[in-house]
Amino acid sequence: MENATDKLDINNTKVYHSALGIQIRDMTISFPTPAGTYVAVKNVNLNIKKGEIVSVIGHSGCGKSTILNAIAGMVKPSKGEVVVNYKTISAPGPDRGIVFQNYSLLPWLTVQKNIYEAVDSVFSSKSKTEKNEIVDYYLHKVGLYVHKNKLPQQISGGMKQRTAIARAFSINPSILLLDEPFGALDALTKTSLHEELTQLWASDEHKKTILMVTHDIEEAIYLSDKIVVMTNGPAATIGDVIEVNIPRPREKKSFVASPEYKAIRDKLLYLLMDAYAAA
Amino acid sequence: MKTMILKKFIPGLTVTGSDASQEASGTAAVLFKKIWNQLQPVLLAFVGIGMFLLFWEGISVFLKREMPGPASTLSVLFSMLVNPFYDYGPNDKGIGLQLWYSMIRVAMGFGLATIFAIPIGMLLGASKLFYKMFDPIVQILKPVSPLAWFPIGLVAFQNSASATTFIIFVTSLWPTLINTAVGVASIPDDFKNVSKAFGFSRTKYVMKIMIPYALPHIITGLRLSIGVAWLVIVAGEMLSGGTGIGFFVWDSWNALSLEKVISAIIIIGVVGLILDRLFLSLGKLVTYK
Repeated sequence: MENATDKLDINNTKVYHSALGIQIRDMTISFPTPAGTYVAVKNVNLNIKKGEIVSVIGHSGCGKSTILNAIAGMVKPSKGEVVVNYKTISAPGPDRGIVFQNYSLLPWLTVQKNIYEAVDSVFSSKSKTEKNEIVDYYLHKVGLYVHKNKLPQQISGGMKQRTAIARAFSINPSILLLDEPFGALDALTKTSLHEELTQLWASDEHKKTILMVTHDIEEAIYLSDKIVVMTNGPAATIGDVIEVNIPRPREKKSFVASPEYKAIRDKLLYLLMDAYAAA
Repeated sequence: MKTMILKKFIPGLTVTGSDASQEASGTAAVLFKKIWNQLQPVLLAFVGIGMFLLFWEGISVFLKREMPGPASTLSVLFSMLVNPFYDYGPNDKGIGLQLWYSMIRVAMGFGLATIFAIPIGMLLGASKLFYKMFDPIVQILKPVSPLAWFPIGLVAFQNSASATTFIIFVTSLWPTLINTAVGVASIPDDFKNVSKAFGFSRTKYVMKIMIPYALPHIITGLRLSIGVAWLVIVAGEMLSGGTGIGFFVWDSWNALSLEKVISAIIIIGVVGLILDRLFLSLGKLVTYK
């Protein structure tokens, strides 16, 4: 143990490494169904370093969202555990911000209020002015300040997802979980949101660990340091982990034209289309 | 020429283009269609009412005027509405005053029912345990005729006016309760997950998610409840006597004034419609996408 901040769990005698943002240890998740037990993911082991952006990619039903939900604390592992900040996850907490697949904004609250309620809930001891300042800061960051008093139904899909991203960032979590966040958006909006997300992450000194579930290969390569490729479900597990060693900041056009990008894309295509082809 | 005339009657109407007269005839046709579209439902409603009055008159003639026709009834209705608030003792009060008594009773019974129904409905909707425990009771008590509750009210309150309020309470409880429970039970997982992910307190969950989501359901429940309350009040007051629109109907029957009975029916119908529309527009106010 070289690192002084490493902690030893006396009871379990497990070592939690301080440089790790998320540790998944031998996790299996199964659900009871009328037809019997359904094993969604099996024996998943994954270490994600602090400040890394990791994508989980795979076909529908490969349990990628299940893994995200387990880290979020929404789903409990049947076996194994998820460790975040030295603690085994047992419930959702403010150390993990979530951007949901379908935005999940509260339709009766304005853009500003949607973010405010999250901030108010997590920073309950702060004053109202302070909380409003936090909300305004992130509204400016995602360019929605002028739309702050609109209801979700009055703004576009891209703006809704910006609101959801601002909401997740506003509680200043050490981990950000994104569940197919850009799936419903058009290509142009998607591209600008990718850039905004990396800028938000960079403006915070790359401190946040980001885990994103996606089925978009280009998106996964552009955003990630590491790409986790899942095998097919049921009882899906991690098939491959591909490192993306392309320096940041990445400029989309030249990035997509680079040979490194093409090599990784070809490898991912091979894995998804041939090795773990959809059943 | 047509444009000139149209412009005279419709301020703001402008006709552009070189061939103004041709355009004008087109505009006139469009305008005529617009007016017709607006007017048509009103005209049809009048046609319907006219046919109904004719039918009523026919029945009245057929029954050799034992049942009054529209003409005599409407003149009695008119005289009732001209002086609605007079009070010449217990058996002779203006229709406005009688309506007022009924309204107070409905407001009390319905208000009390709302105070109980919404929280209980929320509890049943939010907790499967409570739902399983109390849903059978709700299902059994819901279809009971309001009048069956009257003796219970009499025993409990020892006076017939309170017993009437009690039966309003007990019958207008269910629609609000059930609708609230259904509304709360159908909160999508997405919203529940937001609450979990951002650590909403119980109060915040109730105030920012549960109530806003269930509100349209609750208002629909209230609308059904007020309809039931207004149905029940007439029957209740016929039993309890004393004051109110139900008592007025019974009293008019005893005085053999069918004109008054029919007039009261019209008034009850109109007031019921107004109450219904009130809650309908309240519902529209809280509906979101």
